Amino acid sequence: MFVVAELLEDGFGETPFYHCIIAEVPGGDASQDSKVVGFAMYYFTYDPWVGKQLYMEEFYVMDDFRGLGIGSEILRRLSDLAVKTRCTGMMFVVAENNEVSIQYYKRRGAEDLSQEEGWRLYRFDKSSLVKMATPTEE
Amino acid sequence: MDVKIRVATKGDCKDISRLIMDLAVHDKMSDQVKLSCDELQRDGFSQNPLFECLVAEIADENKSKEGFTIIGYALYFYIYCTWKGRSMYLEDLYVMPEFRDWNIFCLMSLLMSSSGFGIGKSLLSNIAQVAKEKQCARLHLIVLNWNSHSLDFYTARGAQDLTVKEGWHLVHFDGQSLDHLANETQQIRKCVSGEDKVV
Repeated sequence: MFVVAELLEDGFGETPFYHCIIAEVPGGDASQDSKVVGFAMYYFTYDPWVGKQLYMEEFYVMDDFRGLGIGSEILRRLSDLAVKTRCTGMMFVVAENNEVSIQYYKRRGAEDLSQEEGWRLYRFDKSSLVKMATPTEE
Repeated sequence: MDVKIRVATKGDCKDISRLIMDLAVHDKMSDQVKLSCDELQRDGFSQNPLFECLVAEIADENKSKEGFTIIGYALYFYIYCTWKGRSMYLEDLYVMPEFRDWNIFCLMSLLMSSSGFGIGKSLLSNIAQVAKEKQCARLHLIVLNWNSHSLDFYTARGAQDLTVKEGWHLVHFDGQSLDHLANETQQIRKCVSGEDKVV
């Protein structure tokens, strides 16, 4: 089972595998800590046709804090970071039944490459990978 | 014919660039290739490489019609799945058509022995070995929906089509749309003690 400790080491250890930005709101009164209400997790990928890309792995705002522009600001910060770090694009996946999200992204100029160009996402899980791996020579 | 699968070096960039363009032509998207060989070299063979690459190399006596000995490649990088941890993404896997097991001569032996794509299979096995050594939980890739050979190749080895099975679509902001998004003026509505304020 994947645990918090692994998430911590993987993102904040010597070699981070991902980066995160968070949205926080102040606590109700002076004695309360601020509260994290949204986040995006991302890392850098590569398209050999056009170069470095920013890949948004997770993007979420708590229900009670939607409609306030927090999601849009997170997206704006990520895209600003993408441009500043020499990325030519930003990519992510969206579930096809998530019409609200799909329209949200399309209104902002995103293209659905699965629909428009026919790309299908494939995945090998660990057991398939182990089966395919070249056996070590004895 | 012996084929050596090895880690690509800086000196292989010209061949890798050539094969990248070949693959783009195969995908009917060659107009989308903008990256130069120099940029590829900078991105893959400097101190903080953005990708890793394996190449398939043959002996000079078996070289291709145009005289090439680097006849296939696999380009990949590391990603992160929040549910499973570090994973790998296979961006490109390509073997020059003249070295695939898909001609009339081989078709008969294919029917008898089910040998499949020998060099492509070796490249994928080596990729899986790297993924295993780096403790990657998953290997992701994308395939065009009309590319039935590739769809079958990956499915036969245990890959699942997440677009069909779970409805995942790949979405992309680039060029102008990315710039617009970065420059969008945002107003965050701040709710303080029931009072709406635009920040």
